[in-house]
Order: sequence, then structure tokens, then C-alpha cells
Amino acid sequence: MSEKVCVGAIAGAFGVRGEVRLKSFTAVPEDIANYAPLETEDGARSFTVKITRQIKNGLAARLSGIATKEDADALRGTQLFVPRDRLPSLPDDEFYHADLIGLTVTDTGGAPLGKVLAVHNNGADDLLELSAPGQKQTVLLPFTKAIVPTVDLAQGRIVADPPEGLFS
Amino acid sequence: MSRSVWKGPFVDAYVLKKAEASRDSGRNEVIKIWSRRSTILPQFVGLTFGVYNGQKHIPVNVTEDMIGQKFGEYSPTRTYYGHAADKKAKRK
Repeated sequence: MSEKVCVGAIAGAFGVRGEVRLKSFTAVPEDIANYAPLETEDGARSFTVKITRQIKNGLAARLSGIATKEDADALRGTQLFVPRDRLPSLPDDEFYHADLIGLTVTDTGGAPLGKVLAVHNNGADDLLELSAPGQKQTVLLPFTKAIVPTVDLAQGRIVADPPEGLFS
Repeated sequence: MSRSVWKGPFVDAYVLKKAEASRDSGRNEVIKIWSRRSTILPQFVGLTFGVYNGQKHIPVNVTEDMIGQKFGEYSPTRTYYGHAADKKAKRK
């Protein structure tokens, strides 16, 4: 499990009064302000966020300590992180994508099936994209109780019972 | 313009055959299909289809809510890798 989660990035200055153009990666874009203070990747700087308006391709926001356009421009390209423990806890059977990505997947017999690369949704179920050993293409595994009976975040392991033909 | 009712829903014949064979065998398997245009019928509920998206077969677990829609609607042809951030996945 990663300790920090990237929730947004600064795309540059917005206007000439020290506002920034903020790209939010959260499920609901405005929620990025709820996770403040946001940190840079090295943790050297942290900012509180006040969203001022919605703009094309993102949000306009005021960050603490950023008063001029030059300050805002200097932050262009900076990614913003929050510690993983600041994300609210979830009910059973709900997982953050950030927690699932990187877990090893084994079958019920303990044989390795791959590693989780990404989580997708096809409109019906969530799907785990696995990089399977010895396969060129990635494999999609439906994230259902029948197919994925065990998710052990503490041990970084998922136990799956894939249907026949999924890995061929 | 919607399809005439007298024709009934369109399904490629091989999809029906494969689904029937899978149901009869009772095995837990992915039914690989290329027919994105076929309508999802009530007899497909509970089966898992691998719907081709031009590159690979996307597993689709058919549920009651999907009846009447096309298989292609559940097999996106473009992949977008965004940031994980606070996005959640629910195990159903």
C-alpha cells in the first residue's frame, strides 16, 4: 500500500492575481479541497486549497502562500499528494483503487496469476487489469465476490478463482 | 428509429448456441464472443461473456439490469488510465 496518494496537479497560473489552475484527479473534482493540506511529492511544501471557480479543463483555486502570478507559475507541473490515511475509511467490499494497484494475485491453490496494474469499470462490474506472467497482453479479472473471494490488503495479496478461459 | 417489435430482439445465432451449450455444461467459463451487436437476452443472466473490443475479450457478467442492451455497451474500445486518487471499486 502506498503511503501517499496523488490527488491533483498544478497546471500553472490562472489570471494575474495568484490563482492557480488546478487539475483534480479525485472522483468528484471539488473534493480535492476536502483533503487539504496538500503536499508536494517530497513533502517540503504544503498548501491549503480554496476553490474559486470551475474553469475549462480544471478548477481555479487559491493556495496558501501563493500570492502572485509568478509564484503560481513556478509551481507549474507540481503534483499534489495526501497521506493515504487521510482518505476516509470505506465499508466492507469497497476498496480504493490506490490500495488495489500493485497487489499480487494468486489462484486458490496459491499459484501466481499476476499483479494488479489498474482498475477499470466497463459499466457493469469493476475489472482488475493484471499483468500475467508469460502473457503479452494484460488480463481483465471481474472484481466480484465469486471470482475474487479474498482481498488481503495487510499482506498485499488477492486470491482469485477465475472462470475457465480467462487466461487463455 | 427503433427496431420493429414484430422482428424480436437481434442476436447472432452463434451467441445463442454458445450460451446454451455453456448453460447445459454448467461449467464456470468465459463465453468468448465477437458479436457486440447482439442484444442481451434474459437467458444470458448469470453467464460470463468475453466480449471482443477489437483487441481482447472483456469479461462481462450478465445481470438482469442489462437485458435489452447490446453486448458492445459493456466492452469499451478505448482504455483510459487516470490517476487512482480517491476512486473506489466495489466488490459485488
